[in-house]
Amino acid sequence: MTEYFSEVFGSFFAILKGLRVTFVTMFKPAVTVEYPTEKLVPYSGFRGALLFDAETCISCNQCVKACPSSCIALENATNEAGKKVAKVAWYSIDFGKCNFCRLCEEACPTKPKAVWHSKDYELTFFRRDEMVRCWKKGFDFVGLYWDRGAQEFKKPEGQVQIQTVQERFQY
Amino acid sequence: MSEDAKDPKPEAPKPVPETTTAAAAPAAAAKPAAPAKPAPKPLPTPVYNEADGRLLKERRLWPTDMWRDPWSQPRYRMAWVKLIVLVAVALGAALLLGEVGRFAVPVTSFLLEKGAAYGLPAWAPGLVWALVKIVLVLHVPLLSALVFVWWERKISAHMQSRLGPMYVGGFHGWLQTVADGIKLLLKENITPTAADTWVHRLAPAVVVAPALLAFAPVSFGKDLSAADLDVGLVYVFAMAGVSVVGIMMAGWGSGNKYSLLGGLRSAAQLVSYELPRMFAVIPVIMFAESLNLADIGAAQGGYWFGVLPRWFIFYPVVGQLSFLIFLIASVAETNRIPFDLPEAESELVAGFHTEYSGMKFSLFFLAEYAYMTLACCLAAAFFLGGGTAPLSFLDGFLPSWAWFLGKVLALVFCFLWFRWTFPRFRVDRLMDFNWKFLLPWSFANIALAGLYVMVLS
Amino acid sequence: MSSTQPLPHGLKSDQLFVNLGPQHPSTHGVLRVGLTIEGEIVVKAVPDVGYLHRGTEKLAELRGYPQCVVISDRWDYLSAMNNNLMFCLAAEKLLKVEVPERAQHLRVVMCELNRIASHLLFFGTYGIDLGAFTAFLHAFREREMVLDLFEMSCGARLTYNYIRLGGVMKDVDAAWLAKCREFIEFFKPRLKEYDDLLSFNPIFLDRTKGVGRISAKQAVAWALSGPNLRGSGVSYDARKFEPYCGYEKYDFEVPVGKDGDCWDRYYCRVLEMHQSVRIIEAALGMMAEGPVMGKGVAKVPKPPPGEAYAHVEGARGDLGCHLVADGNASPYRMHIRAPSFINLAILQEMLVGERMSDVIAILGSIDIVLGEVDR
Repeated sequence: MTEYFSEVFGSFFAILKGLRVTFVTMFKPAVTVEYPTEKLVPYSGFRGALLFDAETCISCNQCVKACPSSCIALENATNEAGKKVAKVAWYSIDFGKCNFCRLCEEACPTKPKAVWHSKDYELTFFRRDEMVRCWKKGFDFVGLYWDRGAQEFKKPEGQVQIQTVQERFQY
Repeated sequence: MSEDAKDPKPEAPKPVPETTTAAAAPAAAAKPAAPAKPAPKPLPTPVYNEADGRLLKERRLWPTDMWRDPWSQPRYRMAWVKLIVLVAVALGAALLLGEVGRFAVPVTSFLLEKGAAYGLPAWAPGLVWALVKIVLVLHVPLLSALVFVWWERKISAHMQSRLGPMYVGGFHGWLQTVADGIKLLLKENITPTAADTWVHRLAPAVVVAPALLAFAPVSFGKDLSAADLDVGLVYVFAMAGVSVVGIMMAGWGSGNKYSLLGGLRSAAQLVSYELPRMFAVIPVIMFAESLNLADIGAAQGGYWFGVLPRWFIFYPVVGQLSFLIFLIASVAETNRIPFDLPEAESELVAGFHTEYSGMKFSLFFLAEYAYMTLACCLAAAFFLGGGTAPLSFLDGFLPSWAWFLGKVLALVFCFLWFRWTFPRFRVDRLMDFNWKFLLPWSFANIALAGLYVMVLS
Repeated sequence: MSSTQPLPHGLKSDQLFVNLGPQHPSTHGVLRVGLTIEGEIVVKAVPDVGYLHRGTEKLAELRGYPQCVVISDRWDYLSAMNNNLMFCLAAEKLLKVEVPERAQHLRVVMCELNRIASHLLFFGTYGIDLGAFTAFLHAFREREMVLDLFEMSCGARLTYNYIRLGGVMKDVDAAWLAKCREFIEFFKPRLKEYDDLLSFNPIFLDRTKGVGRISAKQAVAWALSGPNLRGSGVSYDARKFEPYCGYEKYDFEVPVGKDGDCWDRYYCRVLEMHQSVRIIEAALGMMAEGPVMGKGVAKVPKPPPGEAYAHVEGARGDLGCHLVADGNASPYRMHIRAPSFINLAILQEMLVGERMSDVIAILGSIDIVLGEVDR
């Protein structure tokens, strides 16, 4: 008999304890943000979408070798005599394959880095064409993509969202 | 939106334009002067995105920062201010409106007068008045579902340290349910190939119709009930019992195994929990000596020792016991956590409404909230004194419907609170709990109530 | 269990085949369990895996050792630090690299933080499986803080690639250590709240006590590991019995259960979070100064031919990696002992005779990650 009642009341008080937790939490400030109208800035060193600078790159192929999913491709530039120079003719990253692992950025020997992670975490694509970003002399950090339908380079509109400041790190 | 629209735009960290300076920027930024004493952390200044002008939050305020001193946050203070203003406005509206029941007599006499003036037959004004009442009562479950869905979202969000809907309608997302309703209306009406078409289509109607009908005899305050039935209590429970047929139909007609399991579980559960729910009310009937909901409410008027209201919940032992049993059984009847076995979504996907979409789904949803409202109305009428004031000096301060509404809201809050705190019962334990715990205790309760009545008389 | 039972009046009952998954709210991924049920009782259960197979063991044969660490993130994506560590330990054995003191401490801190994050996710999803929604978001609130710590230290929130051959990717600064302590201080009272909210809730106890029992003998026979094994009362923890990364220096206990039921397995994980907190506190206290990367790791390491096996106590069990090197830049063969996969196998025996609603409770208590099951 006492066992029965102690069990019943024990359960009752355990239930009240649980109710207390949710009740107390209700009066504490929410920890979330309203995402599309408020955005969080990632910490420095965040591994977001890769950016590239064709001016800095010395076309050493280190990033291509370091990439675990071979999403990077590049071609050396040549001078008038047909000899290779330490510049890229073009450089492309396939974001469909990218692992966001920073191995390419670490492998990059230039100062500042020619390829580096931005803080952009809102990398979305509407078509597969947009996933392959291409850089050449004169293209900005964000790069362009090759539209196969229109047969031309297009700007990935509104795709680096989080901030236009592109941090570059030196190790 | 243009960036000029944002007034408090302090000097945002300007984008470093060219490659040469880009490398130096983070190094400069990552060199904060170390203060000797840990000064209170200043709130981050708002920064807007260069690209689309949206607010960029400084990298997260951790709960550790936010919970230490919530009052330092303007948003938290604003939320309390808004809440207090909301309650004050509601109280003001209630005071301004006064007893709504007093309009009944003038309106009926007006209708009779006009009917006689235009030479209509004698039953016509009565019919019009009945239709008016039906429309008014229909608004109770429909509007309350809209409000309670929104409220549940907000309550659950805050219990989980979230914000909940904040966007639609401007004020804390108060139009979110309406937006969802429109979305559900516009959705495709899917009937699975394997479904028993007519049963599948009819089921939502069978579920929702009794839920709406059951509101007829509920007395929302002084002279505020659509039908003043002498057997109101029996009628309400009878109507609420019909829905189980609809749920069975949904489970069977969907042609889905999960739905079938959910439907069968639901039938077993609803039929079982009807019993303790009904038996918990029997002491109330014994004390009030009436089956009329308005009379039961009225029987709880007055105060013991001039302070304590004569509500049934304050009858020693009997009142509390039957209130608890009624509350638990009501939660089970409305298929809500911890008794939401029929739609246990981690086990049965969504139970009996797995295969329903669009408006048919929303009818089930509506029925659930209508039953919750109904259960809270009943509990308020049976145990919390209906429209009477909780303290003697508050008597007559607010109209009776406002007191009733307040009690219903408090009970609905309990329902939401339970839902967002507890895990789900297991199906056999659910039955054990009903037949081996609630039912015996409700019997004992009736016996005790009989003893009380004998001693008192 | 007998199959179809005759009913009175010549009626026949039939068994029902229910596909639990691959699309089901609580299979934690893309697991399919073919359940034959009679009423609410399970007669037969056949787990079906492979929906998430990506062939990572084969992929590793085509990649260099540093690149394999990236692949290892993708097995058990809820405790990727442990995966990184396990691969790196095996590769370091082949390469014979010394790991500096500070890197060892950082590895321990990160792995324990990751264990907390992983167990928090288990705690939350187990609550959801049993219908308690609030536990889930409370757990995620704290998990978010751990992920923030990871984001600060290595820039990623899920696939860290932080622990590298010979050390760790990047040193942490004093601000990070302060943040970590702040989290620990915040987390301790939360653990108490979890007990109030879920662990000792009578309904929860009712759902999990005595359900899905695994005896110690059975657990050993099915080669279970991690909290599933310890829940059955077998005190085995790789951190204690074959310490790595200097775990022998830390003072912690190995929580074990008694009955081997769902609640014991669940509570083992909760207690492990307490122990992880202890370890992190100790590690933060004795954090050494110095480099975080060992000397002598080439950019493209080519270990001498040989074999190595390393195992760590992952969040889900004994996580092992067998590496065979043939002197080239990529491993000749890599094999993973994936605890989730091995723990999953016992389902076919455990589920028989249980109720349909207990299936979810048991499946949840085994705590599988399908990325690791299928690899």
